[in-house]
Amino acid sequence: MKLLLIEDDKTIADYILAGLRQEGHVVDHMADGRDALSQAMASAYDVLIVDRMLPGLDGLSLVRALRAAKVMTPAIFLTALGGVDDRIEGLQAGGDDYLVKPFAFGELSARIGALARRPVQQAEATVLTADDLRMDLIRRTVKRGDVEIDLLPREFALLELLLRRKGRVQTRTMLLESVWDISFDPQTNVVETHISRLRAKVDRPFERELIRTVRGAGYKIDG
Amino acid sequence: MAEGKGARPLELLKSTPVRQAVGVVSLMAVISVTTTAIAFLRVRDGLEETIQTSLDQSAASFSTARTAAELRDQVSAEARVADAEQRIIVLLSADGRSVGNAGARLDAGMPVIFAQPDDEQLSEHGYEFRVIADDRGTLILGETRESVNEVSRVFIAQAAFSLVPTLLLSLAAALVIAARSARRVVGIEGTLERLTAGDLKARVAEDPARTDDLARIAGGLDRMAAAQEASVAALKQVSADIAHDLKTPVQRIAVLMAELRNQTGEGSPEAALAERALAEADRAVAVFQSLLQIAQIEGGGPRGRFRPVDLSAVVATFADIYGPAVEDSGHSLAVDLPSGRPVHVRGDKDLLGQVVANLIENALRHTPNGSTIRLTLRQEGTSVVLSVADNGPGIPEAERALVLRRLYRRETSRTTEGNGLGLALVAAIADLHEARLQLSDNAPGLVVSLAFSTVAALPV
Repeated sequence: MKLLLIEDDKTIADYILAGLRQEGHVVDHMADGRDALSQAMASAYDVLIVDRMLPGLDGLSLVRALRAAKVMTPAIFLTALGGVDDRIEGLQAGGDDYLVKPFAFGELSARIGALARRPVQQAEATVLTADDLRMDLIRRTVKRGDVEIDLLPREFALLELLLRRKGRVQTRTMLLESVWDISFDPQTNVVETHISRLRAKVDRPFERELIRTVRGAGYKIDG
Repeated sequence: MAEGKGARPLELLKSTPVRQAVGVVSLMAVISVTTTAIAFLRVRDGLEETIQTSLDQSAASFSTARTAAELRDQVSAEARVADAEQRIIVLLSADGRSVGNAGARLDAGMPVIFAQPDDEQLSEHGYEFRVIADDRGTLILGETRESVNEVSRVFIAQAAFSLVPTLLLSLAAALVIAARSARRVVGIEGTLERLTAGDLKARVAEDPARTDDLARIAGGLDRMAAAQEASVAALKQVSADIAHDLKTPVQRIAVLMAELRNQTGEGSPEAALAERALAEADRAVAVFQSLLQIAQIEGGGPRGRFRPVDLSAVVATFADIYGPAVEDSGHSLAVDLPSGRPVHVRGDKDLLGQVVANLIENALRHTPNGSTIRLTLRQEGTSVVLSVADNGPGIPEAERALVLRRLYRRETSRTTEGNGLGLALVAAIADLHEARLQLSDNAPGLVVSLAFSTVAALPV
C-alpha cells in the first residue's frame, strides 16, 4: 500500500516508518501540516496517518480541508487526546479512525489494514470459508470438514467477523468495536477469554489451527 | 431551546410579568367599577329623594282641602294640567267614582293605574306612588321614575361603551408588553438550562440597545457565560498541552523499548525487562488517561451528547462481554434485568458502559474465588436502579465514602491491580447523569447502586 505519515515527532515517526516499511508498504513522511496538505492533494495514497498536533496546520484542519476538496482518502488520527469528545471531534472532522497515543505498532498496522479500500469480499456471500471450515450464514451453522460445531451466538458473531476480514489482523479493540459496539478497552482481557472459548470449539479438536494470535497486535484467520 | 419557539398561551399565564399585568388590570377594573357604581348609587339616591320630595309637596298641597267635594275639585283642576306621563293624580271617592288624569284602583292596598281612553299616555318607566286615604276619599299620587331609569341607562351605557373597551384595551396592551418580557425571561431561562447542560456557547444575546433590568440581567449572564467558556477553554487547552507533552515522551519511551525488545533475542532476560518497562508505561498512561477523563466528565461537557440510552441493553452487553472472563477467574455472574423491555435513561452510552465495566472489574478484583457478582436493573417508582453486588468481604461503612475519591486505595488492596480510579470515575459519571450513587452492605459483600431518573416514552 502507499501511505502518507504526517507526524512531527521524529522518534515516533522513525519507528512507525520502519515498521510500516518492514511490512512492505511504501510510506512518505511529512512533518509539517501545510506541506502535508499539498502532498496529500497532489498524489494518491491508500491511507493517511495524521497526528492531530502539527506545526503549520493542525491535523483536524488538514483532514477537514482535504474533505472539503473532495479528497476522500481514508485517514487515521494519531493523538495524545483520548477523551470521548476528542474522538468524536476527530471523526466529525472527516477522520475514519482514531488512535490514542501511546499505541502499539500492531494496533496501528491492523487499523491501517482495516481502512484500506480493498474490494469488499464476501459481503454478499451466504457461506464463509477458511481451510476446511464452512460457515453457513443463512442456516447459522459451522462445520469443519464433516464435523458440526455448535457455537453460542456471540462466538458465531466473533468467528464471522474474523472470516469476513480473513487475512487481516483484528485487534482486541477492533473486535470490541465491531462485535459489541464498545469504544474502550476494559482492563480485564475480556476479548482473550472469548477467543479462547471460540478456539476450544473451532481449533482444539482439530489438527490445524485456524485462529492465529499475532503477537502485540491481535488475531487473524489466514486468507 | 425555549427562545426559539413561541411561548404558548398557557405557559405565558404562568409567567410573573403576565400574571402581574392581569392582576393590575383586574384591580383597575374593580376600582373603576366600584367608583362608577358608587357614583351611580349616589345620583340615584338623589333622584329618588327628589321624587319623594315632589310627592311630599303635592301631598301637602292637597291637605288644604277640607271636604271631599273640595278635594275632588282641586284634584280635577290639577289633573287637567298635569302630564300623566310625569305625574299621576287620582282621587277614588267613597262612592266608587274616580277623578284624575288616569284610571286607578287599589289592589290589596297597592295602587294600580291604567290609561283611560281620553287620557294621555302613561309613563313606561313606572311610578313612585303615595296613597293618602281619609274621609275625603283615597288620593293616589304618582311621580314617574323616568329620571331614575334614565340614569341607570346612562351608567350602563357608560360602562358598556367606555369602561369595558378601556379595560380590554389596557389588558391587551399589558399582556403584549408582559408577554414580550415573559418571552425574554423564557429566553434567559433557556440559556441557563443550556449552560447547565454543558453548552458553554449558549448566550441570551439581547438587543444591545435595550437597557432595562432584564437586559442588564441578560448582559450579566452572557458575560458570566463568556468568562466560564474562556476558563473551560483554557483548562481544556492546559489538559491538551499536558496530555501532549506527557504522552509524547511516554510514547517515545514505548517506541524505544519496543525497539530494544526487537533487538534483543526473543525470550532473553533483556527482552523481558523491556516488556515489563512497556507494561509500566502503559499503566502510567492508563492512570493519566483516567484522570483526564474524570476532569473532562466533571467539566460537564459530555452532557451535550446525552441521548436516551437503553440501560438494560448496556447491562446485557457488558454481562456478555465479561461473562467468560468472570467464569475463568472462578467467579460467577448473575444478571437480573426487567424482562424483554428497554429501560431508558438520558445519558452517554459509552460512559454508562464504563460504569458497568468498572463495577464488574472492581468486584472481580476485590472478591475471592467462588464469589458471585450480581448485576441488577429494576424500576423503583420514577427511578431506575442499577446495582452491582458481590458477596465478598465488602467495605466497612467508614471507608465507603473514601473509596470514591480518586487514587484512594484501601490498605487491603495495595497489592491488587488497579489504580484507585475506577470508582472515582464511576462517581464522576454518576454525578454527570444526576444519578444517586450509593455503597451499601450486601451482608456479606458490597452493593454499589446508581439510581437514575427514568425517561418516559421517548422518541428515539
